[in-house]
Amino acid sequence: MWIVIVAILIVAIIGISTYAVLSARVPTKVGIELWYNNDGHYGDTETALALTLQNSIQSCGRVTVSLKSDPWAVYKQNWANQRMPMFLLGWYPDYFDSDDYASPFLSIAGAKSLGSFYNNSQVDQWITEEQSTTDPNIRTDRFTKIQNALADDVPYIPLFSGVAQTAYVNSVQNVELHPVVFKWFIVDKPGATVLNVSTSDKVISLDPASAYDFFSGEIINQVFDTLVVYDWKNATLKPGLAQDIPTRANGLVSADGMNYTYHLKAGVTFHDFPLNTPLTAQIVANSINRAIRLDLPGSAAFLLYDVGALGRDATNGNNSSPGAIEVVNSSTITFHLARPVSFFNDLMAFSVSAPVPDSYNQAGEQPSTAGSVIGTGPYKMTTHTPNQLIVLDRAFGTKASNTYYNKDLYSPTLGPIPIMDRIVINIRASAAALKQDIETKAVDVVFRTLSPPDLVDLQNRASSLGITVKLGSSPQIRYLVFNVNKVPNKLVRQAIAFSVDRSAISQIVFLGTASPLYSMIPAEMPYSTAVFQSKYGDARCADANNLLAQVPATIELIALARDR
Amino acid sequence: MARGSSLLAYALTRAILALPMLFILLTAVFVVLRILPGDPILALWGGRTPPPDAVERARVQLGLDQPPIVQYFTYLRNIFTGNLGISIGEQYRGTPVWSQIATRFPATVELAIGGMLVASLVGIPLGVVAGANRDRWVDLGVRLYGTVIWVIPIFWLGLILQLVFGVWLRWLPANGRWTGVDTPCAPPSTCRFQTGMYTVDSLIEGNLGHFATAVSHLLLPSLTLGLVLSGFFAKTVRANMLRTIGADFTEAARARGVPRRAIIYRHAFKNALVPVVTVLGLQFAILFAGAVLTEKTFSYQGLGILLLESITSKDMTMIQGVVVFYAAIIVLISLAIDILGASIDPRIRL
Repeated sequence: MWIVIVAILIVAIIGISTYAVLSARVPTKVGIELWYNNDGHYGDTETALALTLQNSIQSCGRVTVSLKSDPWAVYKQNWANQRMPMFLLGWYPDYFDSDDYASPFLSIAGAKSLGSFYNNSQVDQWITEEQSTTDPNIRTDRFTKIQNALADDVPYIPLFSGVAQTAYVNSVQNVELHPVVFKWFIVDKPGATVLNVSTSDKVISLDPASAYDFFSGEIINQVFDTLVVYDWKNATLKPGLAQDIPTRANGLVSADGMNYTYHLKAGVTFHDFPLNTPLTAQIVANSINRAIRLDLPGSAAFLLYDVGALGRDATNGNNSSPGAIEVVNSSTITFHLARPVSFFNDLMAFSVSAPVPDSYNQAGEQPSTAGSVIGTGPYKMTTHTPNQLIVLDRAFGTKASNTYYNKDLYSPTLGPIPIMDRIVINIRASAAALKQDIETKAVDVVFRTLSPPDLVDLQNRASSLGITVKLGSSPQIRYLVFNVNKVPNKLVRQAIAFSVDRSAISQIVFLGTASPLYSMIPAEMPYSTAVFQSKYGDARCADANNLLAQVPATIELIALARDR
Repeated sequence: MARGSSLLAYALTRAILALPMLFILLTAVFVVLRILPGDPILALWGGRTPPPDAVERARVQLGLDQPPIVQYFTYLRNIFTGNLGISIGEQYRGTPVWSQIATRFPATVELAIGGMLVASLVGIPLGVVAGANRDRWVDLGVRLYGTVIWVIPIFWLGLILQLVFGVWLRWLPANGRWTGVDTPCAPPSTCRFQTGMYTVDSLIEGNLGHFATAVSHLLLPSLTLGLVLSGFFAKTVRANMLRTIGADFTEAARARGVPRRAIIYRHAFKNALVPVVTVLGLQFAILFAGAVLTEKTFSYQGLGILLLESITSKDMTMIQGVVVFYAAIIVLISLAIDILGASIDPRIRL
């Protein structure tokens, strides 16, 4: 009898205890890894950025963030291999259209390649629609919907946009922080013929078919020309090798937006002296087909065959789709796209579209050595000591008798380009070296990138040093990526969006030199809506914790187990 | 004749003993590079999905499709036939590893020689003075200097020197190997031959202005590297000086009335130098390692920066090539020092 009573009591105690434990609302923590690059791909501030983010997320009390890092070569593979649940990335646009801040992240293919694996067919449809039209009303509607979906699903959290910066001695003029590409050929130092500059960037490749990094693109844009080019101050397109910018109004874009025609300017030659190969429509077609055919690792060829809808067809020798590029005559070329691409002109302004002579290596990458880099641009590269020195010299004529075909591109605002006879670019191994260079006036201009403390210090001492420190908005954005397969619970992603503190990032990491970002489309671009500001704001811990309280315990435990 | 044969036998023995060392090192490099995270082929495409057949094609081209043991023997064969391969990193892709090493090595040699000169010119006299003045204030000062300078992080010392001599005083250039475009022996000037070392090339060219420029760029990196090493030199020379000053032969000299100055510099110092020569050779390894940080601090484009760049871009063939090259150089220097030591002091051969 007693045994039965004791057994009943034991069972009752166990049952009551279990109920008490299960029903108690003891807040459990969600554990998540935050990954960042540790070898300076995004500068020296990355560790501080990761620590600040970790602190702002953890300070809300219900999420534990463990930091992990890898060098860039491994980091790049980690997101493709789905190793990282939450990680830091940055983006520099390829073409100056709001689409370049939407489709690479939110289209199904783009999201896969950038590691979020976000998959929303409705968003994909909206992206296709905004890409296919120039109608501002339709584009406004689609971009609004896309950004609302972004804020609701949170595959990314926009953090901040960078600040473009340069410092130069006061005698230098026309140093413009262009939103797309820096133009050395407009910089002037009155009374001098040589401009000495330094940078901490490095050349990866000077073959337009291969280059897909900022500095390589910067050099390519001094040595090569494209069919259309950018204005010297903003992203307005101007005729480059082409006589006109194709539009529907001038009849060079078909009514369905699928055919673009360019008439080449006369008398354009490559600086492959003494051959002086003339530029023809056939060479333009060959160059674009070469980039598509080679599809070199890490190159921007996909901007032509995929984003630009020119196709890549094995039956056509891996060139563009049959009939996609039509050489009408020696000075006219027409592109027939597989679908309308409203920003095709912008793609033709990107370095991957720069014509190269037929003498370029057709089976692989052209060497980036002096003499092998041949374009039609205002400068030719006469010296290239890798990671040490690049020398650009005037390619056509002299300052007095300038024979560059596009010398009056920016006249009358600016004089004939290029302005300086020679640009000597010293490549430094660290940001600290740039500060020393400009402090000692060992160079005339430093561009880029100064560290935030050095930048602030130079700003404070600019007048005593006799230098100008110029800041401008940068099209680069920085953001957090969630691999939605690894962090599938939207509530967890939204809670982290609530807890991020952008002002802490700006003040602590960048000493106030970064601007908060509340959409993947920066505020300077058309169609941008600050969706994360209205929906999540900054450091709203109470809202974050309310969301996390709704996360089922089983999901939290799964997240914890997986992250451990 | 017997003496010569004995030295030759010693040299041969050392050379044969160096081979297993080199072999172990080559194996370690091979294994480490293959177990490091990250795929060197996929790294070239970044996060993008490469074309279906491209990865496989690249693997076959580089022999990475072969079993590890086959790769290992191919690697050894290539190394011993002087084929260091073609770079696969994003920066030097397609260029022969050997050509990059040949371009960068002269800068590192110049820096290593400069560093060794500074270390010797500062460290050895300090060690002698300290040894000759045991437990006096000058000895305490040198000992303190030796310890402090040896533990100072090399990049920190570099930054301080840059700040003082480059930025504040503006006596010396703070960065780079050269100012301007007209490097020594560059066209239109002509040289009978070119070494890639700017100081030497400017002398070959007979251009003293260029020589001054080259030296001015070399001074701060050499001081950084050399000063750190000078602490070790000072302490080693001091210890050996104390040993030789207390040795029987110096006692005998003292008993014969030889002046103290002559005892120290003619007898004690000379004998104290023998172990220093051996240590000096071993320091080349430290010198090359230190050169990596010094080159990075001073934007001095040598082999060290090439190695750093290769590691960050996962350029497997370049890392392999540079490490093997470094190893071979250090083994050769060690061998040369062993033989030099043996020729100076016959007891080593016994």
